[in-house]
Amino acid sequence: MAVNLELLDYDAIARRESEKRYGKWWTLAGAVLVALVWLVPFYYLAVSVFKTQTEYASGLPLALPNSLTPIIGNAVEAWTRAKMDIGMLNSAFYGVVGAGVAVLFAAMASFGLTRLNFRGKDMWFMIIFAGTIFPFQMYLIPLFFAYQKVGILNTHLGMLLFYIAICIPFPTLVLKNFMNGLSREMDEAARMDGANEFTVFWRIVLPNAWGPVTATFLLQFTWIWNDLLFSTVLGNRAETRSVMNSLQVFQGSYSSSGPNLVLTAALLASIPSIFLFFVLRKHFMEGMKVSAL
Amino acid sequence: MRRGAPMAEVTLKDIVKVYGRQLAVRGIDLDIPDGSLVVFVGPSGCGKSTTLRMIAGLESISHGELRIGGKLANDLPSRDRGVAMVFQTYALYPHMTARENLAFSLKLAKIAPAEIEARIAKAVAVLELGPYMDRRPSQLSGGQRQRVAMGRALVREPEVFLFDEPLSNLDAKLRNQMRVEIKRLQRQLGVTTIYVTHDQVEAMTLGDKIVVMKDGEIAQAGDTLEIFEMPRNKFVASFIGTPQMSFFEGVLVQRGEEWFADCGSLQLPLNAVAYGQALAAGNEVFVGLRAEDIVPVGHGMQPNRYFAVEGEITLTEMLGNENLLFGMIGPLPFVSRMQQPRLVQPNEKILFHINVDRIHLFDRTTEINLKVA
Repeated sequence: MAVNLELLDYDAIARRESEKRYGKWWTLAGAVLVALVWLVPFYYLAVSVFKTQTEYASGLPLALPNSLTPIIGNAVEAWTRAKMDIGMLNSAFYGVVGAGVAVLFAAMASFGLTRLNFRGKDMWFMIIFAGTIFPFQMYLIPLFFAYQKVGILNTHLGMLLFYIAICIPFPTLVLKNFMNGLSREMDEAARMDGANEFTVFWRIVLPNAWGPVTATFLLQFTWIWNDLLFSTVLGNRAETRSVMNSLQVFQGSYSSSGPNLVLTAALLASIPSIFLFFVLRKHFMEGMKVSAL
Repeated sequence: MRRGAPMAEVTLKDIVKVYGRQLAVRGIDLDIPDGSLVVFVGPSGCGKSTTLRMIAGLESISHGELRIGGKLANDLPSRDRGVAMVFQTYALYPHMTARENLAFSLKLAKIAPAEIEARIAKAVAVLELGPYMDRRPSQLSGGQRQRVAMGRALVREPEVFLFDEPLSNLDAKLRNQMRVEIKRLQRQLGVTTIYVTHDQVEAMTLGDKIVVMKDGEIAQAGDTLEIFEMPRNKFVASFIGTPQMSFFEGVLVQRGEEWFADCGSLQLPLNAVAYGQALAAGNEVFVGLRAEDIVPVGHGMQPNRYFAVEGEITLTEMLGNENLLFGMIGPLPFVSRMQQPRLVQPNEKILFHINVDRIHLFDRTTEINLKVA
């Protein structure tokens, strides 16, 4: 043998390979720099929630806090002043039911658009998808007056209807593309096995679309959870107010609370979204991949 | 071992499939006897899969009658036809284990759990599925998926099995193995089976009856030997058999009592008796010769009546047990099969004996075998 495998410099080979894979050190340094800039606001939040109002006012905004305990007082005050309990419940309801129903409808629509034969299939898809082409703000004023007229302004039902409707087009686009890629022979096998169309959808196609279904559900849930504009305009009563909307008590000319309180409230408000991402992250990541098999 | 399944001969009468104005299947007439294994074979686009899918109920039938077990099945949904299918991609349900895949149809049919268990156990035994019943399809190899797909068809205890190119995704070795297994299974169960493939070797080795299709029509239907020995037309002759039959353009000539096919540089004597009245002087024909009927002198069985000719070799394919010789007789390209082979150099000149009794003649315009016409 021409090469002596005993004497190969395996470390040098590994170094070369990893350099190829990860790039040179200055690429890494650049990335770290960008990451730091990106992380500064998070750092600002992380230190501010541990400061009392006086502590915040007396020191530099980015200075480290004196102790960790003030966060409890901040949280309690933020929670009670913003009535975040009602806001959380409302937002959870809008988010879970709204995004859930929307994604289910989108999945059904996608199944129909990819599996069933009917007239004007492409036109129907374009009509559904047209919903996302225009800026959402466009719907604001007409919806307000329409809701007023029908009498569903400031109601849970009104909010839910809006969220479901606005959340259908995007999942439809994603799920239609995904289902297009699912094997037709699988459906045919199920049909020969005695399944009707609904069974094919419910027991064959839907379980295999679970990844993109959870991914779109999470994205739509987060959108609903974070929505401020529509919940302010369409549901501004205390009992229908969403959590983001309720944070507004800290803003405006009569508010006397410092940034430490606002940031604590914002942190509290974002916990459920983050929690959901963690719970469903496996499916979410799967949904991001292009499915094989 | 018949499981007492009801008689299920499949009858196709004038079956036509159109897509808009496009004719995909142009009138298929076929009787598939109960318990037989019939193979549809042909190049892609010949309508074999479409025909199978019409039998399966996955495509509507544009015209004609389909009977399964004597019952008109044109408008029956798939699930009521008593057919089960094995797909090219296996089409297993990826989110279910092998066991759940097998049980799916039975659960939908609301069959009692004990009976489901019994049927699955039987399929597991027949197909040796035991070790991987609790795995998902993604954890199975190609061959194992294939078995599970067959198991899924088996548990339904169908009257008719349909196979749509089930082996084309397997590697060569596994393909041969599964081919034998499918045949064994079919014999064992005695269920009417329709098998679609584009691979003529698969068709030859599997089928009791082979249906060669071309352009949406049956080019020839018959048993293996019949199709090999008596191809109805030039298409069947060229499609069936490896390597492909060699064809020479020629003209029929009569000299006294003797008949010849005049191919320019090659004057082949013919066995006129075999053709009856079919030979007419001046007729333009294709002369067809299988590789084993162009015998290199000294290699393999020498024909009783032969015509000796020298050929120049251009290319060889050494397969170990035989050597395929590609060469020219004058301007005419041909392939010969060399048994008990030796290495042959390009440009080597070899003497061949052409088996005169096994010359095929096809009319140049209709391409139909003169023995049939």
